[in-house]
Amino acid sequence: MTLVLQAVVNGLEMGLVYALVAVGLAIIWGLMEMINFAHGELLMLGMFGAWWFSTTLHLDPLLAIPPVALVMFGVGRLIYTLLMRRVQRGETFAQIFATIGLFFFLQNSAVAAFTSDYRFVEGGLLSRLSGINLHLAGLSVGLPLLIAGALALVLFLALYLLVERTEFGLALQATSEDREAAMLVGIRPQRMFAVAWGLGAALVAVAGAILANFFAAYPQVGFPFTVLAYAIVALGGFGSILGTLLAALLVGVVQSVTVVYLPPAFKDAFVFASYLLIGLLRPQGLFGKF
Amino acid sequence: MRGFRVTLAAVVLLLMAAIGFSPSAPAAVQEVLVGELLPLTGNFASLGQQYLWAGQTAEDIVNNDYAGLQVPLGPGKGFPSLGGATLKLVVRDDQSRGDLARTLAEQLITVNKVVWLNGDGTSGNTSLLQPVVEGFGIPLSCHPCASPTLTDKGFKWFWRTGPNDRTMVASVFSFLKEWPDHGGPRDLKTIALFSCDNLFCQDNHKIATELATRDGYQIVASLTTKTGATTLASEVQRLQAANPDILFLVQYPPETTVFQADAKRAGWTPKVIATSNGAYSDQTWLVAQRATNGAAGWIGRDPTAIDLASQKPAWKQVNEIYKKYSHGQDMGELAMREITGLLWMADVINRAKSVDPAALARAAEETNMTPEQMIIDYKGIKFDKNHQNELATGVVTQVGWDDQKHTIWPWDLAKRAGYTMIHPNPSWAERDAKPKPR
Repeated sequence: MTLVLQAVVNGLEMGLVYALVAVGLAIIWGLMEMINFAHGELLMLGMFGAWWFSTTLHLDPLLAIPPVALVMFGVGRLIYTLLMRRVQRGETFAQIFATIGLFFFLQNSAVAAFTSDYRFVEGGLLSRLSGINLHLAGLSVGLPLLIAGALALVLFLALYLLVERTEFGLALQATSEDREAAMLVGIRPQRMFAVAWGLGAALVAVAGAILANFFAAYPQVGFPFTVLAYAIVALGGFGSILGTLLAALLVGVVQSVTVVYLPPAFKDAFVFASYLLIGLLRPQGLFGKF
Repeated sequence: MRGFRVTLAAVVLLLMAAIGFSPSAPAAVQEVLVGELLPLTGNFASLGQQYLWAGQTAEDIVNNDYAGLQVPLGPGKGFPSLGGATLKLVVRDDQSRGDLARTLAEQLITVNKVVWLNGDGTSGNTSLLQPVVEGFGIPLSCHPCASPTLTDKGFKWFWRTGPNDRTMVASVFSFLKEWPDHGGPRDLKTIALFSCDNLFCQDNHKIATELATRDGYQIVASLTTKTGATTLASEVQRLQAANPDILFLVQYPPETTVFQADAKRAGWTPKVIATSNGAYSDQTWLVAQRATNGAAGWIGRDPTAIDLASQKPAWKQVNEIYKKYSHGQDMGELAMREITGLLWMADVINRAKSVDPAALARAAEETNMTPEQMIIDYKGIKFDKNHQNELATGVVTQVGWDDQKHTIWPWDLAKRAGYTMIHPNPSWAERDAKPKPR
């Protein structure tokens, strides 16, 4: 029983990390309904940003969060303005191919710039805390992941308040629901999309800056996270910030508990089986609306 | 008139002999094109880049005059028997994808007209290339590929100078078996196997299972996980619960890094971590461990005693050339295997005096290279009937606190290396506390 409970705890911790990765996609794909297959590459850029800060400026990678977020906000806006705004007018396939192209462009540019070496951030607060666990009722909770999880919750809360409780958030939702109607009330949709892309890129880059404390940074690091992020956003329900968070926790727990009983090969199979099951019962996802 | 014809024929024959007339006369070849099919992007990019640097090193050695360098085609420029023709690698990136590798192989052979294909550096993708290249009938080589099945299938056109996993995993188990008689622990009774899931991983897993059973270890856990894992926490939990004395770990660098983080979080270290290729052979992973002491105490198999081989003058000279391409990184054992293989290939082409596939195959089969000609310490290069180098060896090394590999088996080489082993495998707290090598 302890084994299972520990697996649940591990899964929840990992789920918060996944939530952190998925939150940016929740904005771009979930809320604004634009496809972005280069999501993991933005994560990778965030990781490299944190690594660069920690090795060049000898700063804690956590201190890299504000500048990385700022730069990546600009990158996100730029991606929208230069690329996505144009393909948005066409078929959905155009978005798919454009972002797959962006995926290869960013990944291969990183290979050219950094080589495929594995980069590790050193000496940061979370690295120094690694191996330190809190013990509760015979269960062990890793402190660094707990801190990362807390940061994820703060980000989610901030995003939730931004989207649900501010005029800007309402404008984002209005743009997503009916662009022409939004224009009639004075909202500039393209500005909203550009900000959403900036926000999405900044959020996933922040996730990258935090993840750099736990994972090696290398050009291909983003892909496995992208796949999970898509499952999480779809599972949680398009446009639902709370749904994304809960779905991420569910994915973490399903992955973790599956391996306690079954061969690890089933780990992701069960995650996607959960998605299929929920898709059958609630096609709009856990908290999504039609 | 008849006398004139006889004289004319004799003159023509003499002229043909003088210029060495043949369908592929040396003067006809300006450049020897070799296809270098590598995973330069995608999952195996960190391996691919090392193979690329190794290829560029070999190309540099063949094409430039390194007078004092005692490796095949070190002294002199180009291929002497082909009138000084140069070696040109035609590099293609297969994005770590087997399907793309097949397409590119066909392209390299039919469009670029390469005379030899080298790649792709991973056993799984190379196994997909084999039937394609076999159909075209040109030599294919993959020197760092270690899966025994690549040569067991008896392909006519495939060659491997490096040792296969059967040789190398057997080295690890020989070491473990003989260790107690050389002052090692006598309490290693149980083992857990934890590997990735592609051809190379499955071969290692299978061989280790056979050898562990043969040597009387109790297998307490046997797990396989797919590449690209974002967490291995539950796998670590299961391994920890099984409490093996030895963990036999075969994972690529990203998954090894995830494993290390999760094992550290769980506060788990078995007495022995023995590995086979994967991260342990990846120089970039090894270099990265300097920041954390993460690899200290890990045991693994290598095709060469890198600490001893690096004392050879030829190794040092080749390493300097390699560093021109590798952004200053030293050669790891994968690069050594690849460079050795590519220089053997150059020697074959030179001995064949032709780029005709049949001549190349004949020269390859006639290979009998001695250890003095190599930067790696194989006992030589000589092929068995399946084109596996039967003189390729396996040694066992351990990563020390200096983040360098030290030879610990065979015992005669271990004695020469003069290294004191770390045992048991240090705890994570001990790794954190120790100074980090820079």
